Amino acid sequence: MYALSTRATATGAGWFPYALIAPAMLTLVIVALVPFVYTIYLSLHEMQFARVGDWAGLANYRALLGNARFWHSVWISTVFVALAVPLEFALGLLGALVLNQGVRCRSLIVPVLFVPTMMAPIVVAILWKVMLAGSWGLVSYNVLERFGILSDISVLASPALALYALVFIDVWQWTPFVMLALFAGLSSLPMAPYRAAAVDGATSVQMFRRLTIPLLMPLMAVIVLLRLIDAFKIFDTIFLLTAGGPGQATESLSLFTYKTVFDFWNLGTASATAVVIWIMFFVFSNAFYQLARRTLRAF
Amino acid sequence: MRARLPLLAVLLSIAMVTSAEAWSYKDAAKPYAGQSITILDEITPLQETMKTLVPEFVKETGIQVDYQLLNHFEVISKGQADMLSGRGAYDGVMVHSPQLGLLLQADVVRPIDDLLGNKTISNPDLDLKDVIQPAWDSVAKFKGKTYGLLDWNYNVVYWARGDVLNHPDEKAAFKKRYNYDLAPAKTLQQMRDIAEFFTRKKGEKLAGQPLESDFYGVVLEGIKGGTTFWTLWNVFIKNSGGDVFDAEGRPTIDRPENVAGLKLWAEMWKFAPPGQAEYSLIDVPTVMGNGIAAQTLAWSDFVLGIDQPGKSKYAGKFVYAGSPAGKSGTRSAETEPSMIVISKHSKKAEATYLFLQWLVDKQTQKRFFEVSKGAGVPIRESTWSLGELKQSRFAALYDAMRETLKNGRAKPKAPKIFEVMDVMSGLVQEVALGRKTAEQGLKEGQEKVLAICKKCTL
Repeated sequence: MYALSTRATATGAGWFPYALIAPAMLTLVIVALVPFVYTIYLSLHEMQFARVGDWAGLANYRALLGNARFWHSVWISTVFVALAVPLEFALGLLGALVLNQGVRCRSLIVPVLFVPTMMAPIVVAILWKVMLAGSWGLVSYNVLERFGILSDISVLASPALALYALVFIDVWQWTPFVMLALFAGLSSLPMAPYRAAAVDGATSVQMFRRLTIPLLMPLMAVIVLLRLIDAFKIFDTIFLLTAGGPGQATESLSLFTYKTVFDFWNLGTASATAVVIWIMFFVFSNAFYQLARRTLRAF
Repeated sequence: MRARLPLLAVLLSIAMVTSAEAWSYKDAAKPYAGQSITILDEITPLQETMKTLVPEFVKETGIQVDYQLLNHFEVISKGQADMLSGRGAYDGVMVHSPQLGLLLQADVVRPIDDLLGNKTISNPDLDLKDVIQPAWDSVAKFKGKTYGLLDWNYNVVYWARGDVLNHPDEKAAFKKRYNYDLAPAKTLQQMRDIAEFFTRKKGEKLAGQPLESDFYGVVLEGIKGGTTFWTLWNVFIKNSGGDVFDAEGRPTIDRPENVAGLKLWAEMWKFAPPGQAEYSLIDVPTVMGNGIAAQTLAWSDFVLGIDQPGKSKYAGKFVYAGSPAGKSGTRSAETEPSMIVISKHSKKAEATYLFLQWLVDKQTQKRFFEVSKGAGVPIRESTWSLGELKQSRFAALYDAMRETLKNGRAKPKAPKIFEVMDVMSGLVQEVALGRKTAEQGLKEGQEKVLAICKKCTL
């Protein structure tokens, strides 16, 4: 952009680059910024059904932050992210390294790996409902029960296991994405540093630690950040498989927000929730960016 | 003079009949022909069938109808959002009875009393006395006003495997154990006994045959949300003499009768598939169709989709009954009378009203059952005697529906009822899964519901 801008100024058309990006910026403002600013506005007002009422100041925020159910849903989302993302990353990296070793039929394996990631959430939910349904599910009945495992319970119906089952489903769906993204990164790494390291007698573990990891770090940081944000927003699979239950065992923050809007019509609190979630993401993303930039030198 | 009286009466009758015959949707719709109305309804096989008939109304009246069908959740969220925001994109919106508390409080539903009294647009042959009660009154009438006509009459029936209930060996064993005859449950206690009796492990015999997988005595909807708590409330709690609100609408969650009803419901979970806490109202018929449970309480419109050759290998082997009674003979059933209301923001109330009348018209209802080949849920008493129902393979199911509908009412008009249900459905799940006692669950429920509303109904 800098080069383009310099060249454009040099040719006397300083406005031209801005004109080029204007439609995109305008679209971004209309579809993202305006609704967000309006959400902040709603969160500061009393909402009578779907109509904006009087100025409420921070009352909606106070109500939200004093709501134990909100904090419970924050906890559920945090546990979900803390379990799912590291697993997806570790398994994805392992798979990418294996793929990068030149396994047979790679051209066949890679497209197949995309299948879970490409599936619509409703398909994923139906698929796993059929797999894990207590007493007749393909996995629960034909595999687990035959070995006497979990024979008298259904994982999705168990308050102790339901969240782990949802983590497992997320790992199943998103590990291939991480794997393929990292594999693409590995495939595009320059060979020269590796040749030099080989000449110097470096072992493969040393090359992995000293070359592969640092070279892949920017890509890894982006993938982890994307997965953290996406996993924290988990909604559809939970909504379709457990509806937040049993009890409140799987009620994520997104599900809590959905219910606050569409079941309870408490739009003031829901708007405050949306703003709080945004603030949480903003703070977290910035912290992650700084960490990745300074400590890991990822950016 | 006395001799002329009969003649006068005959002439008057002829005049009345002529006047009635003179009324037609075509004439009544003349001022509105060319208008376009948008109706939002729920997508089920019932509405999909109705959609095929809508062009007949359009052809007759010249009123264009955009009859949109959305799934259960979307029809609630989108329909309510449209009315509450005042946007008015929909002239008519299908509402389930629990939605009405919020919508009436927000004053976004147009009463139809003036339209009902308008002779120009009201069909004199509509015969509203024929509409099934108490469904219509309980959903549509509130504080002296009428808010709509009964459009859909969802109801929960008792549904069991006739082949196992009627098997001679099973009948004999049941009689020996419980000292009464095995038959479709008429009471909740019988339902519990049947559930216990038929719960068997793989390898044991069922109706003389060794089981290839575990068999369960009962399956119930158990997922959080859905209609889990509605059924518990209206069937188990009310038939135990309890209720969620008192006459003034104050929460009475932890009363002893409610504890008894919840205990009975939770006890049935011992005889149900392990995954019941994730079973929605769609999963229950699927499980019944798969043949791994002996009995259930299920929404009859879903039963229509399962008890069909090719859909389940047990099709034709099922038996039905009305929703079971309580110990003392109390009869409360879970039903969901629903209606399409006219949005207060609609500028085409008359055209919409004509369409709503046409939906419930006897002729339309008859056509509906002709087109659906006898698969539907009646909203009129006269529909029960239609040949399409009497000769239908679902005749026994219709008897069960009729029995259920006698004892079902709409939900109370409580603006925060969904919030109450959300709290309660999570708690009762925990009771059923053994994480809380019924007393603990309902005590906690009472505290939480009181935090939502002190007086919950309008």
